[in-house]
Amino acid sequence: MTSPAWARRRDAAGRAWREFAANRGGLVGLVVLAVFVLVAALGPVLIDDADLDVTRATGDRLRSPSGEFWLGTDENGRSVLALTLWGTQLSLVVGLAAALLSVVIGTTVGILAGHFGGWLSAVLLRFTDFFLIMPSLVLAIALSAVLDGGAGTIILAIGVVSWPASARLVRAQTLAVEARPYIERSRALGGGHGHVIFKHVLPSVLPLVFVNTTLAVGTAIVAESTLRFLGLGDTNEITWGGLLRSAGSSGAITYGAWWYLLPPGIAIVLLVLAFTLVGRALETVLNPKLRERR
Amino acid sequence: MTPVLELRDLRVTYAGGHAAVRGVDLTLLPGQTLGLAGESGCGKSSLAMSVLRLLPKDAQVSGEILLDGEDTRAMSWGRLRAVRWASASIVFQGAMHALNPVRRVGTQIAEPMRLHASLPEDQVEARVAQLLAQVELPPEKARAYPHELSGGQKQRVMIAMALACGPRLVIADEPTTALDVIVQAQVLALVTRLVAEQGIGLVMISHDLSVLGSVCERLAVMYEGQVVELGSAPTVVHDPQHAHTKALAAAFPTVGDPASRYAPATTNPAGVPPKVVPRAGEPLLRTQALRVDFRQRGGGWMRAVNDVSLEVGRGEIVALVGQSGSGKTTLARTVLGLQQPSGGQVLYDGRPLPRGSRGLREYRREAQLVLQDPTSALNPRHTVYEAVAEGLRIHRMPGDERELVAAALEAAELRPAGRYMPVLPHRLSGGQRQRVVIAGALALRPRLLVADEPVASLDASVRGEILALLLRLRAELGLAALVITHDLGLAWNIADRVAVMYRGELVEVGEVEQVLLAPRHEYTQSLLAALPEVAPVT
Amino acid sequence: MTDSLAPVEESIAEVPPPSRGGGVVRYLLAKVGGAVMSVLMVVVLGFFLFRVMPGDPVSIMTRGRPVSGAQLEALRAQHGFDKPLLVQFWNYLVGLVHGDFGQSYAFNAPAGVIIGERLGPTLLLTGTATVLAAALGLWLGAKTGWHRNGPLDRGSSGVALVFWSIPPWWLGVVLLMIAGGVFPTGGMQSPDSPAAFFPHALDVAHHMVLPVFTLVLALYGQYQLVMRASLLEEMNSDYLTTARAKGLRDDLVRRRHALPNALLPTATLVFLHLGMVVSGAITVEAVYSWPGLGQLTAEALASKDLPLLQGIFIVLVIAVVVMNLFADLLLRVLDPRVRAS
Repeated sequence: MTSPAWARRRDAAGRAWREFAANRGGLVGLVVLAVFVLVAALGPVLIDDADLDVTRATGDRLRSPSGEFWLGTDENGRSVLALTLWGTQLSLVVGLAAALLSVVIGTTVGILAGHFGGWLSAVLLRFTDFFLIMPSLVLAIALSAVLDGGAGTIILAIGVVSWPASARLVRAQTLAVEARPYIERSRALGGGHGHVIFKHVLPSVLPLVFVNTTLAVGTAIVAESTLRFLGLGDTNEITWGGLLRSAGSSGAITYGAWWYLLPPGIAIVLLVLAFTLVGRALETVLNPKLRERR
Repeated sequence: MTPVLELRDLRVTYAGGHAAVRGVDLTLLPGQTLGLAGESGCGKSSLAMSVLRLLPKDAQVSGEILLDGEDTRAMSWGRLRAVRWASASIVFQGAMHALNPVRRVGTQIAEPMRLHASLPEDQVEARVAQLLAQVELPPEKARAYPHELSGGQKQRVMIAMALACGPRLVIADEPTTALDVIVQAQVLALVTRLVAEQGIGLVMISHDLSVLGSVCERLAVMYEGQVVELGSAPTVVHDPQHAHTKALAAAFPTVGDPASRYAPATTNPAGVPPKVVPRAGEPLLRTQALRVDFRQRGGGWMRAVNDVSLEVGRGEIVALVGQSGSGKTTLARTVLGLQQPSGGQVLYDGRPLPRGSRGLREYRREAQLVLQDPTSALNPRHTVYEAVAEGLRIHRMPGDERELVAAALEAAELRPAGRYMPVLPHRLSGGQRQRVVIAGALALRPRLLVADEPVASLDASVRGEILALLLRLRAELGLAALVITHDLGLAWNIADRVAVMYRGELVEVGEVEQVLLAPRHEYTQSLLAALPEVAPVT
Repeated sequence: MTDSLAPVEESIAEVPPPSRGGGVVRYLLAKVGGAVMSVLMVVVLGFFLFRVMPGDPVSIMTRGRPVSGAQLEALRAQHGFDKPLLVQFWNYLVGLVHGDFGQSYAFNAPAGVIIGERLGPTLLLTGTATVLAAALGLWLGAKTGWHRNGPLDRGSSGVALVFWSIPPWWLGVVLLMIAGGVFPTGGMQSPDSPAAFFPHALDVAHHMVLPVFTLVLALYGQYQLVMRASLLEEMNSDYLTTARAKGLRDDLVRRRHALPNALLPTATLVFLHLGMVVSGAITVEAVYSWPGLGQLTAEALASKDLPLLQGIFIVLVIAVVVMNLFADLLLRVLDPRVRAS
């Protein structure tokens, strides 16, 4: 039984990959993503700790790009290039972790609200709707202002405020699956809640959850940089949002220090765009409804 | 006389090389009616859509489509737009989706008149009222939105819309498919009357030979993109020549015809088993004064099942007949313990259904469900093996799983079982899928099958095979069945007794011959009267 | 076929869906009730977030500053943090009912008054930007959805995606750097702004150009993508085939039939995303020092002014809840399908 099943899965994976590869945007996004991951992983190897230490900085204040500092220096004389490269790691990790947290909460709530009707569903829906219309940034700001701390707080704040969208999506998909007669058949065969959820609902919701996570990472990275820009979290951690905050408060805008303002911002946009492109490409592959349409 | 519609060597090919229509010649003179019959995928809808060039862009059309002698394929876009609806209009399949949900139906009926300026603006409203009157709807329905109308009313609106510009040709694509028997009869009567009164040419498309035969003078039977039989309606229905026409005709048996009693059309060499007399004694399943209420949206209660007492004996096949909304599916779900009754009780083997989930699980091994649409009754991600083994795993049935699955597949006549096991459902035909569902039920060695419209979504030629399988399972395994259907022909084909359900109540229960040949309740009488009838060959 | 159907069949024939004349009141009550519940949840959440979760709010408010124990005690007493939680909650509720959001620590003034002063500018900025972004996004979405995979679609859907990925505040920073010389870079009016209405309005409009432009760019992409998807959803509908079969021109099929159906769900989403607009506005205001709630948030954050943050939080969320209620009610008037259910 295993060998044909495995062969079929391999075939399916190959087909999915070919479909994904046919989407040029997704492929570009994947390459960009790979570069960022590489930079994040190799950061500690590439960059000397001394380049990041304010007290040991070698450059002058806010110098424009030169042979020594390819992207100029910040207000403390540190290399903007080194800072930007170093910031990759934290942005990536925080984005992934926050997205994962939000999708896990969202999927749990969505499946529970979709599978069980009655008061449980009503309460969960009320909650989801409330958090859905809530300006999530405002809540995240409040949370990270109140809870002191670094990356962990930021992850928690973003994860806790951004789950409702995926809860809604997963609930809709759960309801769609539960309306299919094969669920009725499964119940009539004697399957309980656990059987229906784990054998039928979860497997059919998972591709959607996967796509959703990919897309949520982009949103989480933007949210993370925004919180940092507003001065929340541990300001000693080197992050893109934090760099831009320092740039803003050190007068880089009026000074016209584009080399300080552009690199972290462009890095954010590129990384977010890469996740979004990959997510949308995955969507066309994994979401049968979209596949027919495009 | 110029024909209103003439097709010469029409071919439609979709991107990817699928030839939907492969060389069709048809002629329709003014005022004539032609029925186009065939199973799903035979190309009949592609043919209909090609007449007004409404096919998707990836469809290649060749041959000639002469509308009043003018080839629509050669028309400019402007000319084509002028011809659309003014010369030929369409009554689409599924009026629910063919009407714009956010516009009033009156506006939608008036739209083609305004567009083609067939009437001065100040007369449009009166004309809409007149059209509504013609389809027997009150004029104030013009202000209704589609969702405020019933299925039959929507179909009437579609017909009114089709007649708006006084076309010479109306193409009706499965106009009554989603409707109940009685409403279907009313709509068909309406179409017949209007077409005759106004001398309109009609091309009507359906999978149901008897529906077409009751309305049209001539019938064309399509199979794999070609017309395989063409002739006067009574001849085609009563004396079919082509093998495929024979299968279509046999799929809709005449109630009262002794040849089709306990004998659904099958080509299976196993044939139809001899009649089995159900064992007497305590019935296997009994409902006592069963009631099911639903809370309605916006408050109030709706009684779906009212005071129903029904018995299914051991090895007996009982058909539960009724139109949609009569509560028959709710009754089936309650019988299986999928729905809690509000009153009364269900007795299985003389004992009330257990309430706890453990007791119910044991009951659900013995009573199995077969659903209407096998395509959606199987998880598309699960192989045939997994689908059949699902119940075995839930109940932790003793024995070798693979052997049990193989035995169940063989019993459902999927042979050799090994070939089907690793296949995903979408690779199977509709009939094969329904056999997988049945195999999944048989694997648990049940004593009762509850089948909800088991053949309604299957093609006509497969219908008889599945019904014959049910009869054989009863003969060989002593399996009792409660078959829920809107199709009186099905009851005539396989059931021992029939129960007629109307608005939540059983209005008539008895032997099939007694109820269907000498109905006592007026509802049963009107159901039987609504069956489409084809005139005998003259 | 029987040509004479007995009269009894009229009653046997299917029953049309029941009319729901009495549904209006029920719908109103349900929606208003839901909104009231949301407001209550905001109030509780506000208390929980800012009074319960921090443990000792005063220690956060004074972080990084040298304060003596006596000063801390005085602060606690001033804000009522020394009382039991239930008493605090009661005082908080009573205060809210009277429009009292507590005392701002940084401004040394009632938080409600400060928030009230900043509400107008925020409404002006977000309102203008939302209307412009929705108009642009819906128009582009309708165009690109109808001519799917056309040159406009390929180009502008990509651009929308890029703008959607840019954090609004960074876009603001970049625009500030580029166009800072042409347009005013901060505030809502010049120090010497004329007093007369029209010249003053013109001055404000001049100041609005950059922040509004930033917000529109940040917001329209979402609307465009949603509208495009919504139209694509309708593209294969049978009623469009009916419309074509009637002989309607392609653009009439789109305008009369496809668009109204696609627009209504999109409109719902536009309102649902108001929270996003608020989030964008907060940072953009901070960048352009627009004297609204966003800038106030940044100021309150900088000075760890918890009572002020709490007030802003409550006001912003309630505003969004109320706007959503309006949207729901409006949609019911516009969409017959919603009216039915």
